[in-house]
Amino acid sequence: MLSRRLFLQTSTAAVAAAQATAAKPKRLAIITTIYRYLSHGQHMGDRFLVGYPFEGAWHKPNVQVVSMYVDQKPEGDLSGERAREFGFNVYPSIAEALRCGGSSLAVDAVLIIGEHGEYPSNEKGQILYPRFEFFDQCVKVFEKDGRAVPVFNDKHLSYSFDKAKAMVEASRRLHFPMLAGSSLPVTWRLPSLELPHGCQIEEALMVGNGVSDPMDFHALEAMQCMVERRHGGETGVKAVQYVEGDDVWKDTRYSRQLLSSALSRTDTPLGLSLDDGRPQDLAAPGVLQKLVAKPAAYFIEYRDGLKATLLMLNGAVTDFNFAARVQGFKEPLSTQFFLTPVPNVTYSACLMHKVEQMYETGVAPYPVERTLLVSGMLESCLTSKVQGQKRLETPHLNVAYKAAAKSQFAQT
Amino acid sequence: MSTRPKLAAIGTTFYKHSHTQHIVDRFLDGYGWNGKHHRPEMDLVSLFIDQHPANDLVPERAARHPALKVCPTIAEALTLGTGKLAVDGVVLVGEHGTYPKTEKGQVKYPRYEFFNQIVDVFRQSGRAVPVFNDKHLSWNWDWAKKMYDTSRELKFPFQAGSSLAVTWRTPSIEMPLGARIREAMCVCYGGVDSYDFHGLETIQCMVERRHGGETGVKWVQAYRGAAFWQALRDGVWSRELMDACLCRSHTLTPSRPGFNDVFPAIEDMQRMVTDPVAYRYEHNDGLRCTMLLMTGLVRDFNFAAQLEGQRKPFSTQMYLPMPDGRTTVATFFSPLVNNMETMFLTGKTAYPIERTLLTTGLTAAGVESLYRQQERFDTPHLNVRYQVSKESTFQRN
Repeated sequence: MLSRRLFLQTSTAAVAAAQATAAKPKRLAIITTIYRYLSHGQHMGDRFLVGYPFEGAWHKPNVQVVSMYVDQKPEGDLSGERAREFGFNVYPSIAEALRCGGSSLAVDAVLIIGEHGEYPSNEKGQILYPRFEFFDQCVKVFEKDGRAVPVFNDKHLSYSFDKAKAMVEASRRLHFPMLAGSSLPVTWRLPSLELPHGCQIEEALMVGNGVSDPMDFHALEAMQCMVERRHGGETGVKAVQYVEGDDVWKDTRYSRQLLSSALSRTDTPLGLSLDDGRPQDLAAPGVLQKLVAKPAAYFIEYRDGLKATLLMLNGAVTDFNFAARVQGFKEPLSTQFFLTPVPNVTYSACLMHKVEQMYETGVAPYPVERTLLVSGMLESCLTSKVQGQKRLETPHLNVAYKAAAKSQFAQT
Repeated sequence: MSTRPKLAAIGTTFYKHSHTQHIVDRFLDGYGWNGKHHRPEMDLVSLFIDQHPANDLVPERAARHPALKVCPTIAEALTLGTGKLAVDGVVLVGEHGTYPKTEKGQVKYPRYEFFNQIVDVFRQSGRAVPVFNDKHLSWNWDWAKKMYDTSRELKFPFQAGSSLAVTWRTPSIEMPLGARIREAMCVCYGGVDSYDFHGLETIQCMVERRHGGETGVKWVQAYRGAAFWQALRDGVWSRELMDACLCRSHTLTPSRPGFNDVFPAIEDMQRMVTDPVAYRYEHNDGLRCTMLLMTGLVRDFNFAAQLEGQRKPFSTQMYLPMPDGRTTVATFFSPLVNNMETMFLTGKTAYPIERTLLTTGLTAAGVESLYRQQERFDTPHLNVRYQVSKESTFQRN
């Protein structure tokens, strides 16, 4: 039998040998509002603790979670359990988490998940998640300690475009890679459609569902990851308008053909399909009017003239479907953004893989400007909502960027 | 006169989420396809349904589609009162409904009996039209073989099988035609003489594309319960392929409380899967395949294969949007129906009936091996040889 001492020596030697061949794991701090079962913090954070499915294998990121900050610990909090099992500390402040209790920045990467938990809402219905505040505290540590590391921010940057912009500016000022946003742009698509890079898009439309402001953000970002590939790249948004109720049905600004095309991609028609299983044509006259008590339309006018519309159709579908008319294609191009089933929610593995990639390479796989623009689009749409649903010019949304030609969604 | 093909549908029963409902409704009401609500270029004109339980939807469908004739017999549905065959195609759906079981646990769905009645009309009319048969041909191999032989004798296009072969894949990949496959596997779930067939078709629609084409199957060996776990530990099938399948699943049961997506150890699987079943079989060209039913561990169909010259397994999931609350209309029936339409419009099958002939025989052989205390069952009768064409027929647009 091995003596304990010999065992320790052997295993230490084995670890040293393994480390000599593999790169040193990146030290990660997880900063989150809440770490409860199926909160974003848990299902995204856990990917770095227990790994995740990727390309047909169980992938273990070369990342070591070394610290965590959790803002709220209601019943069901798992952070303490995770810390004990995986050998890290939960610190009482973000600065301490980033410094691992020491005097200077002691991590190589930061994961900010400011989703779920009890936070107040404003008059526009936006939940005031403290993403900016969390990020700002990270930036303060970076500045004080003279070193900055890659940061991922889950979902929109902030409910406020000004705050969101300040976040992106800080990343540029301090030269650290930053990635943000939703899982929808990177999850599987049914079909596995990508718009040709540099295509001329005539019009785009997204059908989504769920409550504002979590789910409309996902839908807007899914739409944005498609249209940003258009000729000339992203130019920013000139004006937005939010319309709800029967006016949505009367509005002539969106194409019924695109609506029909997007709806043809759904796996979740409600109404008669729910009653007796028949595959109902939701775009047939009068069907949506019957099913959707409170439709909402988010009209987006881009600076280069492109018009895009998000229709939130609660009561008609429970998935997210996109359609666009693209020059050179006779018929609309359309697809479903596939939100894989609970509890695995493997779409969050798709997203965390992108995050891991940024930690590894120091380069964000897609521009954070996408999420910056969508954060601003959403805020302005919700401003329109509380200002009598009027059209709002958005000169501040002059966010221009170029998307890379390489696709980023799950297809391997 | 309209040149649109006229179809008769023959089914066991028609209620919400029965196979007949999924299939027939797509002909009657259309379905989302390739970015449109597609309406098949053909008319389903008659319907025979064997059983009418309390939740029968036939009256509602008949009332809403007055052109649809509900017929009391199969012959009537095919002849429409003319005394001879009056339709251009037949859709046969013998799934669901209350039917007795064999001593081996197979449900005796009357697909063969219905098929015979269809063929009787063909013979009497001196003319035969294309037939689609949902799922395996019959629970009984001899009958299945007769169905196949009859379709050859009367020279009518005959198509059959599972949605698994034609549904979305994540990722959307196809087995390269002519690939040299060392071993293949499907990890899925469900019961014997039921979802095992779907798992076998999942494997077959991929491995039939291998170098040399399909050669038939030599033997089948089933493992169940303790023998399953022992076989897993002994490495009877590739653990690497099994892991690859599990890593393609979107429905891996969390093996630890508080974790939503964590890879299970064998001990976890043993705890979660109370009735595991494996069918291991060898093709005549030496290829070995394994279909694992792991109810409790996954709720989807995952495929993996070891290809020559490739370090990592080739793997994907055949995705079924199940109407289990998360989705509502079982859209995997759409590619199944779309491939039927191809046959009814062109008179050519979209994929070979031999695939389903072989998987029918494999299903029965798996059941047989289980019935014989899990002994290896030699299958000289499964010398089913065929070659597929290059074109893919699964949903990807």
